[in-house]
Amino acid sequence: MKYTPFALLFSVLLFLSCGGDDTAEDTTPSDTFNRNAMLVHWVDNFIQPGYTALETSLNTLSVAADDFVAAPSASSLANARSSWLNAYQAFQTVSMFEIGRAEQLNFRNRLNVYPTNTTELNQLVLSGAWDLELPSTIDVQGFPAVDYLLYGLGTDEEIIAFFAVSNEADNYKAYFTDLVQTMQSLTAEVKSDWDNGFRETYITNTSSSASGAVDQTVNAFLFYYEKALRAGKVGIPAGVFSGSPLPQNVEALYSQENSKQLLETALAAVQNFFIGTGSTGTNGSSLKAYLDVLNTVKNGSDLSSLINTQFETAQVKVNRLQANFVVQIESDNSKMLETYDELQRNVILMKVDMLQALSIDVNYVDADGD
Amino acid sequence: MKILAILPIFIATVFVSCSSDDTTPNVLVIPVEVPVDYTFTRNNVSTVFFSGQTTRILMAEEIISAFNDQDNASQSSLQAMFDHQEGAVDFGNTSLNESGKNARSKAAASTDFFSANATEATAIKVQFDAYINSQTQEVFPNWNTAASAGVAGQIADGSSTRYVSAKGLEYNQIFAKGLIGALMTDQIINNYLSASVLDAESNVENNNNDVLDGDEPYTTMEHKWDEGYGYLFGTATDLVNPVPTIGEADSFLNKYVGKVESDTNFEGIAQEIFDAFKLGRAAIVAKNYEVRNAQAAILQQKISEVIAIRAIYYLQNGKMAIENNSFGAAFHDLSEGYGFLTSLRFTRDIATGTALFTKSEVDGFVADLMNDGANGLWDVTPATLDAISEAIAAKFSFTVAQAASTN
Repeated sequence: MKYTPFALLFSVLLFLSCGGDDTAEDTTPSDTFNRNAMLVHWVDNFIQPGYTALETSLNTLSVAADDFVAAPSASSLANARSSWLNAYQAFQTVSMFEIGRAEQLNFRNRLNVYPTNTTELNQLVLSGAWDLELPSTIDVQGFPAVDYLLYGLGTDEEIIAFFAVSNEADNYKAYFTDLVQTMQSLTAEVKSDWDNGFRETYITNTSSSASGAVDQTVNAFLFYYEKALRAGKVGIPAGVFSGSPLPQNVEALYSQENSKQLLETALAAVQNFFIGTGSTGTNGSSLKAYLDVLNTVKNGSDLSSLINTQFETAQVKVNRLQANFVVQIESDNSKMLETYDELQRNVILMKVDMLQALSIDVNYVDADGD
Repeated sequence: MKILAILPIFIATVFVSCSSDDTTPNVLVIPVEVPVDYTFTRNNVSTVFFSGQTTRILMAEEIISAFNDQDNASQSSLQAMFDHQEGAVDFGNTSLNESGKNARSKAAASTDFFSANATEATAIKVQFDAYINSQTQEVFPNWNTAASAGVAGQIADGSSTRYVSAKGLEYNQIFAKGLIGALMTDQIINNYLSASVLDAESNVENNNNDVLDGDEPYTTMEHKWDEGYGYLFGTATDLVNPVPTIGEADSFLNKYVGKVESDTNFEGIAQEIFDAFKLGRAAIVAKNYEVRNAQAAILQQKISEVIAIRAIYYLQNGKMAIENNSFGAAFHDLSEGYGFLTSLRFTRDIATGTALFTKSEVDGFVADLMNDGANGLWDVTPATLDAISEAIAAKFSFTVAQAASTN
């Protein structure tokens, strides 16, 4: 207590001296970084090839779905499942780019809200009438709904029977077909927008303002990393936000052995985006390079290295997880929590330190919870 | 710790000495000790009761959940819940059905603001009835329709679905946030904490002489104060020490004191509010009405601030969402904002003891929000949202930016 006035005075003095330095730096930003080159690299080596890969894999799924619907069997079911998983993996590499048309379409939520509301899904199938454009059907469509149809209806024999001989077989066929077609058309819409003009708008929108392409992309990237990857794939099922674990909230609940590989793909995708390694291994300009040009240092280390190392650290934790997250959570949830902690450390490094260095404001708020 | 404990007593005493010479100089000045929590007893029996307030909060909770229960709710079932009559089977919670209390009769019903303003009091109750009517007649029929400008229905807000009117209004939000003003805030700050209620009839004389309220263990004045406390803390997990769980007790005033508390610009407000309730109640026990009135003024000011801060918060968040073309998120925020705007009517100017915002000011805010174009919230502009926010903040010592901040 006795020292409080001195401490205060001291901190005020510190404040003043820091303030002086800051202003000097702010007026002469060493920001000679070529934003246009980075945006071109992002579009040409991440975004457009990513949507092309997703489109191709959904086309394959569509063929496999048609085959399964035409002749439900063990082999056509297996084929549909592997096509679905390939497309789901492809989705993991573009989900971070929720900007432009994707943002308008609510693309990520249309394709990947989980867990699926199976009660509502079955009601819709029984009724024979549904409208997947309605916001309230967001939890009965996309990859998780297909997961339920292809894995969750029962044993393999029962699943085949649902589509082959049950009273509602025609409805299940129609519903499955509609799910796949909806994912295809949404993807086509986003891809077509990039192909028909948005690429040019995007790469020339180099302003360092909230509406600039770099600001928008980085915000979308961080929102994805924080909410969809860190929380959605790990934190929520591990019970970080609920006090007790929610294993029923893992991604790919009905084919649980896939939950880990979806996370691995997603984590590799965000790291590659950060360091600038494109879809075909092409290296190019990146957030890492941007931080290096700005010579951003934290606690004596390059911030870019700290972030990249943190991705590696998180990856090590992921590697230790079982393929099946439900089993992992129910047998040893502490490993999920450790993974979450390492993912969370990069939220701090990127959302606080990186954004400060890049002079980017966060444009999203934490949900109000109501 | 010892010094800290003595300090409020010292303050309380100073307060009393300032005014002791202008009124009744023969009354013995009793310093008020700061109680550790909201526990007050007489002969080892608790004197604190606010079950009626807890009941109305619980009723209001059931009403706002039923608002979006399109499968089961109807205009008549919602109205029956709002205007509940003893014994009617309106609620899932059977003890609420047995109660003779309801939320509607206490909306816009404070002594200070409405005892001589039956016209507006009735209009406000009818306005809540109208929200129920619009929800069931306008939104329910379009439950499975996609909303667009001029068309009621559903709209996506991230992974949530919002159900809005043709003008983008979520009536459940307006109803809930409007009730925070018309029911909780009005009853607390313009009724139970007001000298016109605390000191009505022979309350002061009875309190001075420990004359109890019939067979009850409390004096009438003690009970009135506790009823005010109940509208904020009546559903808290720990009723005598509710600050650690602030925000978790209900969907109404408690929740939004918690929200304001979590904005670092206003950190500590939950404790200040609780401390004032606690010290004011102790002052009634000590028969020290100057200290009591000082605490009432703190509460009237702070609770008014909570309403204004949240009104601005939602207008500003709605603005950000509109700028991002996220209409679903914007309509959700702005519907909450709409409700808090109507709640401003019940905030209080502690200098005059009258409303901080006139009816025409509040009506003007709502009209501005809805009238940038033919389709209400579909057309509202960031400039309009800023103008309303600034007009509200002008009556307080905080800024729009401080109120809009989330951390």
